[in-house]
Amino acid sequence: MNENLTILAIVLGILHSGIRLATPYLYASLGEMFGQRSGVLNLGVEGIMLLGAFFGFFATFQTGNPWLGFLAAMVVGALMGLLMAFISVTLKAEQGISGIGLYLFGLGASSLLFKTMLGTVEGVSGFAPLNFCLSSVGIDSSFCLSQVPIAGDIVFSHSVMTYIAYALVPISAWVLGRTTIGLKIKAVGQNPEAADSLGVSVDRTRYMTVTFGGLMAGIAGASLSISLLNIFQENMTNGLGFIAVALVYFGGWSPWGVLVGALLFSTVNALQLWAQVLGLNIPSDVAVMLPYLMTILALALPIRRAAQPAALTRPFTRGEN
Amino acid sequence: MKKRNWLIVLLVVLGLLLAACGGSGSTPEAAEPTEAPPKAEPTEAPAEPEPTEAPAESESVPAEGDASGIESIRIAIVMPSTVTDLAWSQAIYDALVRIQEDAGGEDVVEIAFTENMFNVTDAAAAIRDYAADGYDIVIAHGTQYGTSLFEIAPDFPETSFAWGTATDTGKDAGLDNVFAYEARAEQGGYVGGVLAANMSESGVLGVVGPVEAGDAKLYIDGFVAGAKAANPDVTVNVSYTGSFGDTALAAEAANTHIQAGADVLTGSAQQVVGAIGVAKEQGIPWIGTQSDQSSLAPDIVVGSQLYKWDGVLLDIIAKHQAGELGGTAYALTLDNGGLIMDYRDNAPADAVAAAQEAEAGIVAGSIDVIAAMAGEEQMEEGDGAAEMPDIEPVRVAIVMPSTTTDLAWSQSLYDSLVELQDFYGEDVIEIAFTENMFNVTDAAAAIRDYAADGYDLVIAHGAQYGSSLFELAPDFPETSFAWGTTTDTGESEGVTNVFAYEPRLEQGGYVSGVLAAHLTESGIIGVIGPVDAGDAKLHVDGFVAGVKDADPEVQVNVSFTGSFGDTALAAEAANTHIAAGADVLTGSAQQVVGAIGVAKDAGIPWLGVQADQTPLAPDTVVATVLYDWQPTLLEMITSLQAGEYGGKVLQLTLENGGQKMIYADSLPEDAVAAAQAAEAGIIDGSIEIVAEPRN
Repeated sequence: MNENLTILAIVLGILHSGIRLATPYLYASLGEMFGQRSGVLNLGVEGIMLLGAFFGFFATFQTGNPWLGFLAAMVVGALMGLLMAFISVTLKAEQGISGIGLYLFGLGASSLLFKTMLGTVEGVSGFAPLNFCLSSVGIDSSFCLSQVPIAGDIVFSHSVMTYIAYALVPISAWVLGRTTIGLKIKAVGQNPEAADSLGVSVDRTRYMTVTFGGLMAGIAGASLSISLLNIFQENMTNGLGFIAVALVYFGGWSPWGVLVGALLFSTVNALQLWAQVLGLNIPSDVAVMLPYLMTILALALPIRRAAQPAALTRPFTRGEN
Repeated sequence: MKKRNWLIVLLVVLGLLLAACGGSGSTPEAAEPTEAPPKAEPTEAPAEPEPTEAPAESESVPAEGDASGIESIRIAIVMPSTVTDLAWSQAIYDALVRIQEDAGGEDVVEIAFTENMFNVTDAAAAIRDYAADGYDIVIAHGTQYGTSLFEIAPDFPETSFAWGTATDTGKDAGLDNVFAYEARAEQGGYVGGVLAANMSESGVLGVVGPVEAGDAKLYIDGFVAGAKAANPDVTVNVSYTGSFGDTALAAEAANTHIQAGADVLTGSAQQVVGAIGVAKEQGIPWIGTQSDQSSLAPDIVVGSQLYKWDGVLLDIIAKHQAGELGGTAYALTLDNGGLIMDYRDNAPADAVAAAQEAEAGIVAGSIDVIAAMAGEEQMEEGDGAAEMPDIEPVRVAIVMPSTTTDLAWSQSLYDSLVELQDFYGEDVIEIAFTENMFNVTDAAAAIRDYAADGYDLVIAHGAQYGSSLFELAPDFPETSFAWGTTTDTGESEGVTNVFAYEPRLEQGGYVSGVLAAHLTESGIIGVIGPVDAGDAKLHVDGFVAGVKDADPEVQVNVSFTGSFGDTALAAEAANTHIAAGADVLTGSAQQVVGAIGVAKDAGIPWLGVQADQTPLAPDTVVATVLYDWQPTLLEMITSLQAGEYGGKVLQLTLENGGQKMIYADSLPEDAVAAAQAAEAGIIDGSIEIVAEPRN
């Protein structure tokens, strides 16, 4: 146990890490949530993330401008989402299998592109922590919001991609709960026949959500390669995309639930890292299990959560029934 | 719905195909009948060619010749780029045109050519067409055309063929109508290196290479050797673009070199026009090779190595007209005038004088470029290269849990194998590999496939593959298998053809622990491990022991991420260590690239293990425990070729050169001295590493 560290410093450290680590999960899970609410399960998130990570990195590497990387990841992600939509909506293919296909495609393609276009792991200067300094808005002062005790460290020292991720949570909740589009998405996912009979285009809605989900997965990948890590390595997402899919179930298909899930998972991860650093006498294998154990426990708790969209994984054909 | 299943299958297949390409995209193929560039025995000075395959006698011909005696002749050439590429293809085309002019014009020498034959199948069709059209001499101007050429040549016994870079005239294959030619580009490269090193003020030179093969590799290796000979302190940064024609990438490479401080640049292949453009913009001197590139940027091209193919071509023509259709291998050298050094007025006189001296030395034989190159490699690779045993051709397959670019476990083995291949040649060592085998069932299938495919040595590069290996090894008694980290060869289960290997990483870990204890000021050091097992566990145990022995007061915080590849979590672990006060970090497995990025941003030194991680963060990675698998691999290969297919436990230690310590120049002398003392103590046995309980 290190006596130089106060409990406060440790708690701050855990919260800071937890908030930052949740970034890629938030992007990927929120996007996936929209797809699932409309009835399409996309298991290819991991593959899209890898491509997003690569193109985000590569564009930044080439141009030096992380915003172009952000854009590139969005475009590539959206294209991959469009592909998934074509396969699952138009061709009505089995969603689980085609998602895995998409994952393998993303894994292989990003590796191939990396080998041919970069060849070796390189660094890039991506989005830096904002720190919210007064000097950046023209005020002559060296004061930064990140220097504020407690809150400054936790809240004001992240990169812009992290803030966007959190901002997307209330926006997603608003879209899903308060807008016509949200209503259509839910209707299509619950009862596509009824939605169709009321003049809602099931296919168009699903195309929209799955493409958006791909776009978000692309950004999720880029949040790793040009914000959190500023490198690209083959297979760098390392299963993160699959956890993001699981977080959608965990979060009960609600943006706030996804936020809770992502934060819980990443904060417990930060916690176990600190536990090891502080030399608490628990085996490392148990420590690394903690986030998963917590997730399982939380799932088992009898919290009321929205039911799974009734038409999830069910392709829609007009007049089938 | 079922109808659409074909599309899913298609997508999955496409994905797997791409995954396979990703895996083998850089696999060196051994299909071309090329010959390894001649390499010297590094210890002795005389440049004896590699004993593995006796090269055909190279004939030296004067570059200038008499074209007047030529009777009417038709010559066709198939080339990989264009006649205006300012490089490889233009050099030979210009020579042909000169001969045509001297011989009396188009009526005497008819020239036909096909450009941009990057596709070998198309090139083969073009070669066959020219031969069928009755051309007397058909030149296939690229190493990659060899296989096709050897298939076509027997069908046209009256036609002469020529190809290069090569030394193989196909005599062994029963061909008598093929000439081979090569440019000993390492000679001009050496001279260029001397010139560059004498011109550089920053002490950094940049090289923009295409693909690490053929005359490009010779040129660059020679350049590095020459630069180091002229000034041992000079740094030569070499980058390969992986393409001959990617001008954009070459430009980027040049930019990168300039940003890294280079103040003289060189490079080869047609891609360099991009790099020359950048050099011109920034006013950085450029040294050219192959063709004269000064037309592009007269102010910055200070010197060039020019290929003069005239002599070779004239001799081929003369031989053809005398009825001798093939069988000779030519080499362009400085001595025979096939290589010409062209110095421009804008080159400093003293640098030119030094370069000319080197040139004279090479011609007179007092400078042995091949030996200098081998010495250079020896410096890079340590003493491992000193005694290389003779080996028979061998096919090696690796199944690995991550990728060949992971900067860690898998890359270290793959890089060592590729270095061996570079030494022995692609026709001696064939490499195949499968990456990302995190799923053990898939790995078992891959291992079985390789064994069934007749690979001599199949390496399962992960402790997790052991049980599968023991199940399938008895089915292939003639195949050697190897796995690690382990000491179990399966003898107790009756398996006889499995090697076990184990890097004793507690040794290197101990040394870097001693180093870390000397570097830390806060008294806190952070370690980021993957899982508490295998060589990662040995590393942590040794590291902690080294720190504690050097300074019992220093605290080592150890954290495991539970994953080998979770870069995001490793980065977060590094942040956590830094927040907890650590001011020196280390860690293992491919995940650490994330942690190194954090260390770089925080300006905290990183001690690397397994593979060389300095390219990622040169200022951050201050020391490395590098795995050198060459002794281990050679031991396995020589054993299996002696009929002993397994049963040995091989360890990588500091003593046998399996582990090497690399220290950055920026390290304090006392810290390095302490670490080196620890190294010596481990080797002579005076230091015993005892794993201490972690805090």
